[in-house]
Amino acid sequence: MLTVTGLCKTLPGVRALSEVDFTARAGEVHALVGENGAGKSTLIKVLTGVYQPDAGEMTHDGAPVRFATPSQAQQAGISTIYQEVNLVPLMSVARNLFLGREPRGRLGLIDFRRMHREAEETLRGLGIRVDVRRPLRELGVGAQQMIALARAVAVDARVLIMDEPTSSLEPREVRTLFGVIRTLRERGIAVVYVSHRMDELYEICDAVTVLRDGRVVHTGPLAELDRLRLVALMLGREIGEVRREGLTKFTGSRDTTAPPVLVAENLRVRQRLHDVSVSLRPGEVVGLGGLLGSGRSETAKAVAGALPVDGGRIVVAGEPVRGGSTAAAIRAGVSLLPEDRKTEGIVPGLSVRENIALAALPGLSRFGLVDDARVDRIVDTFMKRLRIKAAGPHQKVGELSGGNQQKVLLARWLALHPKVLLLDEPTRGIDVGAKAEVQALVDELADDGLAVLLISSDTEELIEGSDRVVVLKDGAVVRELTGDAVTEEELMRAIAAVPAGGHDD
Amino acid sequence: MKPTAPLRRTCARTLLAAGLATSLALMAGCAKSEDDSGGDQAATQDKDAGQVVASPSGGSGPTCALDAYGGEKLDLKSATVGFSQSEKEANPFRIAETASLKAEAQKRGVKLLTANAQSQFSKQISDVQDLIAKGADLLVIAPLNSDGWEPVLRTAAAKHIPIVTVDRKINATACKDYVSFIGSDFVEQGKRAADQMIAATGGKGEIAILLGAAGNNVTTERTKGFEDRIAEKAPGLKIVFRQTAEFAREKGQSVTENLIQSKPGIKGVYAENDEMGLGAVNALKGAGKKPGDVKIVTIDGTRNAVQGIVDGWISGVIESNPRFGPLAFQTLDGFTQGRKVAQDIVIQDGSYTGANAKSDLGKAY
Amino acid sequence: MTELSLARGTVDRDRALRLLQDYGVYGGVVVLLLFNFVFTPHFASAENFRTQAVQVAPVLIVALGMALAIGTEGVDLSVGSVMALSTSLLSLYLGYGPWVATLIAVAGGVVSGAASGALVAFVGVQPIVATLSLMVAARGLALVLLPQLKDVHDPGLTALGSGDALGIPYLVLIAAALALLLAFVMRRSTFGRQLLAIGDSRPAARLSGLPVRRVLVVAYVCSGALAAIAGVLATARLTASDPTSLGTLMELSAITAVVVGGTPLGGGRVRVGGTVAGAVLIQLLTTTLIKHDLPPSWTQIAQAVVIVGAVYAARERGRR
Repeated sequence: MLTVTGLCKTLPGVRALSEVDFTARAGEVHALVGENGAGKSTLIKVLTGVYQPDAGEMTHDGAPVRFATPSQAQQAGISTIYQEVNLVPLMSVARNLFLGREPRGRLGLIDFRRMHREAEETLRGLGIRVDVRRPLRELGVGAQQMIALARAVAVDARVLIMDEPTSSLEPREVRTLFGVIRTLRERGIAVVYVSHRMDELYEICDAVTVLRDGRVVHTGPLAELDRLRLVALMLGREIGEVRREGLTKFTGSRDTTAPPVLVAENLRVRQRLHDVSVSLRPGEVVGLGGLLGSGRSETAKAVAGALPVDGGRIVVAGEPVRGGSTAAAIRAGVSLLPEDRKTEGIVPGLSVRENIALAALPGLSRFGLVDDARVDRIVDTFMKRLRIKAAGPHQKVGELSGGNQQKVLLARWLALHPKVLLLDEPTRGIDVGAKAEVQALVDELADDGLAVLLISSDTEELIEGSDRVVVLKDGAVVRELTGDAVTEEELMRAIAAVPAGGHDD
Repeated sequence: MKPTAPLRRTCARTLLAAGLATSLALMAGCAKSEDDSGGDQAATQDKDAGQVVASPSGGSGPTCALDAYGGEKLDLKSATVGFSQSEKEANPFRIAETASLKAEAQKRGVKLLTANAQSQFSKQISDVQDLIAKGADLLVIAPLNSDGWEPVLRTAAAKHIPIVTVDRKINATACKDYVSFIGSDFVEQGKRAADQMIAATGGKGEIAILLGAAGNNVTTERTKGFEDRIAEKAPGLKIVFRQTAEFAREKGQSVTENLIQSKPGIKGVYAENDEMGLGAVNALKGAGKKPGDVKIVTIDGTRNAVQGIVDGWISGVIESNPRFGPLAFQTLDGFTQGRKVAQDIVIQDGSYTGANAKSDLGKAY
Repeated sequence: MTELSLARGTVDRDRALRLLQDYGVYGGVVVLLLFNFVFTPHFASAENFRTQAVQVAPVLIVALGMALAIGTEGVDLSVGSVMALSTSLLSLYLGYGPWVATLIAVAGGVVSGAASGALVAFVGVQPIVATLSLMVAARGLALVLLPQLKDVHDPGLTALGSGDALGIPYLVLIAAALALLLAFVMRRSTFGRQLLAIGDSRPAARLSGLPVRRVLVVAYVCSGALAAIAGVLATARLTASDPTSLGTLMELSAITAVVVGGTPLGGGRVRVGGTVAGAVLIQLLTTTLIKHDLPPSWTQIAQAVVIVGAVYAARERGRR
């Protein structure tokens, strides 16, 4: 149906796709998987005409094609359903379904009766029952997604690309969605399905293509690929390739009997976390393992008070901490280095000095006035200790390199003398030198008695940097790796394991 | 959603509501404003007998009678009159206007229903429709706009309800859609202000105009009358400055401050309403001028402005008479008894000068 | 070679734009002053400067509060109505003496600001909507409390409006003191720095444990209090309380002064000096046109041109 060969695409600074071959066949649900930065979204954007490929062929229905704009791709029958439904929430279901191609009566006015009738027929054909006259926003997210699907089908889509369609759905809604996808498959539509949820992939998909670092590392029927192998392919680790050397580095050197400084129990966030428990001892680096979307960042945010929890308990150094308040968490000694450095971490318009002092300001002030001398001392200390490369303390943080921005953020937290440091992807997007410096710093901090929770998509970094690894999957803890079990192979096994008793609804 | 959030929000809301309620109570409970030397205005209201018609009733202009309009005779005493006011009674003119109608209705023993559109035209339309629905046999309307009256006029015509509009005209046919219009001649007011200015300055020197709000017919007509009369009678007076002060005292003050600095030789200031004139007085005081150094002539006839004459700061005030009550009821009475009434009734505006200001202060509104 | 010179060209352009954005307003003030010295009769007199300073004082004070609100990536549309509320309260309580009345008037501004701030910070209403609702509510309340213009005879207030110390009018002294106070707060206090961080990156500020809500509420409270002070001063100058017309369109003048002064609408930066210069620039512009007796519509057009210029300069830089 839709085939690309030898696709290459360079985005500023990265080779996003190189020599990618991909085929979506009619009547087949094709899984497209890969970790962050593997090139999935770039590939989708090329397929839908958002990006122009630098090289490579694209054929659709056997004829070579080239989409200059997304609307050209849509006209050719390629539709995309995004995680966030992009329809008009205030209009009725039927209006949304027929948006831009409403049946017209005489005088060019919309023939509402015909529109409602046809809308009902279309939806019934897909097994969806809703009142088509009601505004779209009154429906649940799942139902809205279904309408988006129906709209795609109604505009004669031949290829349907679904980007993480289930990420915000209830289990029941997922069932209905899969029902619709099966109907579509029977109608001979090619479905490209992007998801990180292993169980879903095995339930609905026929074929799989694994991308890593912009290359296709595997493509073929999904049934021939077992879970462990799939995880290994995604993470880029061969099974059996165990690296013993980095592993024993920390074991034994930590006091494993000391009482934990952080205990998080049964953290619950609707649809994101299901009873996640983690505990950290002083001087211990605990890794959070799992695929993208497994709840790693959510766990860290919940502990740091940045994500309101529906249930659970957080205790720091014996004192319970109120959830949902970053200020309370910080007072208790918990600091989070967020994953999205640019939007959640740095304050780009302020200087290095102001950024470092930001969180510690109340402690550096008297009567609401900042003690500039003390701020200067602290800033100077940390700029030297972390080797922050800037024109001076008054340079804007937005102008620094990624690695130096990350160091500024670390300095902001260290200035607070935290008990627990939560690091979410601390080395992502920073250059090799800075990466090594940050990793070394983490070790050093742990040696000083700080408890560190480390999240990293870089399996090697995770395994080598952590004393223990708690493995998450679909928002729940599936295994904890300790001692000799802290290996990449065990990590992959844990991620790939089929849950006992099937899907938990 | 974190569990604490809704709680905290309710807290914030309660606090907010409590705060607002407390402050309101405070305001209402123990307000104590400055003693106003002006005294009670309503008490002195009666001193003025109301309006006098400039052009005698049934005189030169076209007239209107009951049979031409359609409708039947009725006795005003047993009738219900509806009055729709356009703007909030927040300025002296509107206060005096409403008070005058109420007083006249009481005097004549007529039942009066009132409504105030609070400067919203859609509200005025529904106000009038409400008045009709409540059984008004006759209507007095102070229109906010000139246009857009068709729905109301249709309803009124169907019930043969006579309408008199006051202070502003509506765009419709007299004696068909409405009976009469009673109001001032703004051009004439401008001319009379010019006369006062000529008298005060001796017809020589440079003068300035503080214009009203732009795009307002009152502004354009008062300007036209003034300029025409100056050009005609006193070519020695030069209008060297025309700036809007938007009918507001504060703007009148700041514009005049700039004026007297850049043109220190200015002889007179014509303010198109009292408020701007009073602002000009403030500016002159601030600049250390003496009363009478710069002659000020204003239009409207509010108590503050007339007091200004008494104090010597203002040379003359042309009245724009807001007391429509007597004339409106007189017109309606005559009309419903079958007599002919004029379609356009221009009222006689008084004027205040140094000669009569002190004695007539009670007449000012 | 060409590439090199091109690169330098853009760098120069960048610098020029940044200079224009940072110091353009001062340049504008200087240009207008020079123009008036040459072309406007009787301009270069102490009396004239005194008048200009007195006239700009209330706008300037309101603009200072507005700069705070804009610094948090918000805006305060209610300032004009708060001035009206303040003048109503002042007149209503003047019987207790000018000090008590002034305190109550400023308290009214604080309550109004707290209401906007609470709507923005706790309920999560867009600042433009929250302050718009306060704009309507405060004006309405002002008119309920004092339906029409009322003269003020209190000697204390009259002295405040027209008196001076060492030849400098009280109004100007108060405005200058408030501007200096605000500059100090922004430069030295924790509140000032937290406000900038919140305006620049709300998520980062929240994750850093800053008291985001408290800072937002305080910012709007300051804006309300400053507007109320401006209302008291304007009343003192006019020697009358006029809640119907006092402060109308004040929000536009204040926003203009702030934006022209180089404070970006996107928040994260508060330029006190620029705001002062912005208010002075607008005042001089209006005055110039009035003194040359140009049609009033010209003033509006000239203001529009200045705003567009300022926004253009800001946008050019933001794009990079």
